Amino acid sequence: MASQIELKNITKVYGTAVKTIVLKGIDLSFQAGEYSAIIGQSGSGKSTLLNIISTLDRPTDGTVLVDEKDLTTFNDDQLARFRNETLGFIFQFHYLLPEFNALENVLIPYWLAHGKPPTETVELAKELLDRVGVADRMYNKSTDLSGGQQQRIAIARALVNRPQIILADEPTGSLDSETTIAVNRLLREINEEYKTTFIVVTHDRHIAAECDRVIELVDGRIDRDYLTEGLEMEERWKDLGPAQCFRIQEMAQECQHADSKGTEEE
Amino acid sequence: MFEIQVALRFLKEGRMQTLLIMVGIAIGIAVLIFLNALIGGLQADLVNSTVGTSPHIVGNSVDKEPPGRLADLDRATKVFTRETVSREEDRPLRNWVPVVEQLEKMDRFTAVSPVVDGSGFITLGDTSLPVVVRGFPLESADAIYNLQERIIRGEFTAAGNRVLLGKDLAEELRVDPGNIIRLSTPEGVDGTFTVAGIFELGTQAINESWVLLSLSGAQTLYGLEGGINGIELQVQDVFAADGAARLLGQSFSDLQWTSWQEENADLLSALSSQSASSYVIQAFVLLAVTMGISSVLAVSVIQKSRQIGILKALGITTSGVSRIFLIQGALLGFLGSLLGSALGAFLVWAFFFFVRTETGDPLFPITLSPGIFFFSIGIATLAGMAAAAAPARRAARLNTIEVIKNG
Repeated sequence: MASQIELKNITKVYGTAVKTIVLKGIDLSFQAGEYSAIIGQSGSGKSTLLNIISTLDRPTDGTVLVDEKDLTTFNDDQLARFRNETLGFIFQFHYLLPEFNALENVLIPYWLAHGKPPTETVELAKELLDRVGVADRMYNKSTDLSGGQQQRIAIARALVNRPQIILADEPTGSLDSETTIAVNRLLREINEEYKTTFIVVTHDRHIAAECDRVIELVDGRIDRDYLTEGLEMEERWKDLGPAQCFRIQEMAQECQHADSKGTEEE
Repeated sequence: MFEIQVALRFLKEGRMQTLLIMVGIAIGIAVLIFLNALIGGLQADLVNSTVGTSPHIVGNSVDKEPPGRLADLDRATKVFTRETVSREEDRPLRNWVPVVEQLEKMDRFTAVSPVVDGSGFITLGDTSLPVVVRGFPLESADAIYNLQERIIRGEFTAAGNRVLLGKDLAEELRVDPGNIIRLSTPEGVDGTFTVAGIFELGTQAINESWVLLSLSGAQTLYGLEGGINGIELQVQDVFAADGAARLLGQSFSDLQWTSWQEENADLLSALSSQSASSYVIQAFVLLAVTMGISSVLAVSVIQKSRQIGILKALGITTSGVSRIFLIQGALLGFLGSLLGSALGAFLVWAFFFFVRTETGDPLFPITLSPGIFFFSIGIATLAGMAAAAAPARRAARLNTIEVIKNG
């Protein structure tokens, strides 16, 4: 089966006078419906990689194929259309438009491509808001909502055009720990419900531990790339390296998947 | 369209910023409209008082001067007034009826009158005053000079041996309607006439020299035997008079045609420099308005960079982003000028209402044509879009990654 997303020898160089090589020949592919995490230290190139997959940035060298279409040959407007139809975005800072209410924000991806949304699209948006648990905030301005509520609306917005792929950059990076757990669970459920491919960039090992697949970048290269299936939670944690913190472990326990034998030295 | 919605929301969220620039635009447009109405009214009044009740084009039957005489005539100082022209060698136009009929049929001429002009003296006792004798069909002349309304005493008639006198001339002669005067020509022909009425045409030179006769009376006095020596015309559009005079010169070359513009070159150059300075002021006002819109939108691009970044990630095209700002510029220009039109109309009304002469009359009539409103609104909308061009380009070039990375 052909991969849904295929990166071939992706290189990214920033600067002209002083060159910084951020990505050094990445080869990577993702299957449809896969839930993957890209992790790495800051500066490892994980965000740059996500930007290239999301077509917000162009690679210096290499090709990006989605459904066997070479995105590096697309012009800006073609890319805009591609993003609108195929991708859903979830960012760390929610980025709802404060000028619009929650329901309107969810409808924006449809609206900007096709004009005024028909009733069935509005109904879909309402369903999605219900699904992410903020149906009662439908007509609130985003500025009146908590961070968790805003992120839930942003998730509904990412889903409204029924994208095949959802790209998330630190989706819980600005949320408190309880909300983080809830939002992660929601993302995972959506992945299972809609069979959407998820690629999540995170430095949160808790999220990474729950993904089907973990890709770790070090200095612009893929250091490790493995499936978590079949691994016990303890092994997953061990694999995720020595940098784990205990707070995250506690959260992992709360999250049902926690290993009861987990270390509780605190 | 989605971009219109975004533009509207951006403006609505801008509140104070939007309100201030709208008021700024409104003031600019109000000044534009007020200035336009003021200068327009002033000029129309000036032109009207100059040529409203006088011929716009005069055709005189003068002999083409022989080449030998042309040289010793100082052309530069030669003043074309009716008096000087009529004193030259006259060659009366005999076959004038078809010419006048033809001119009357042309739409561009609103009044056509055949004229017999001449100089003469009125003798009364010991005094003998030089006068300008003018003979024409009174109803035709009335269309040009608005005579009937300007008879201050006596009757409006010149039938038979009756004449009309200017107010100052009558005072000097101490005559009243019903008195008899004696009119003589330089050629020694004379006749007695009854004063029928006294007119006041608003110009002293006319009031103290004109004697109006019937056409036939003047023809007899000057021995023209049915001929005339001039045709006076009024045209629909006063500023087209010189063009019409040139055309008449080609079609009816028997007469020498002079337009009012040739005789009022000073007034015209004053008017055109007045217009020019008003246009300069208006252009600068418009420029200031445009710059104001531009700067507000430039700030707005920075303020809304998050929103633009996210919209781009969600798939808006670069031209879509540009449109959001172009629409904002156009909306600001349109709504601001709508407000400005109301303000401008109010200013004109206030000026008309409060600025009065000592007698309580308006200084001059101000006309507000709907055209100036449409023009102002149109030009302000275009200026708004032009002002938005640079901010729109900047917004379209905004790098999504930069915006998202910096939160």
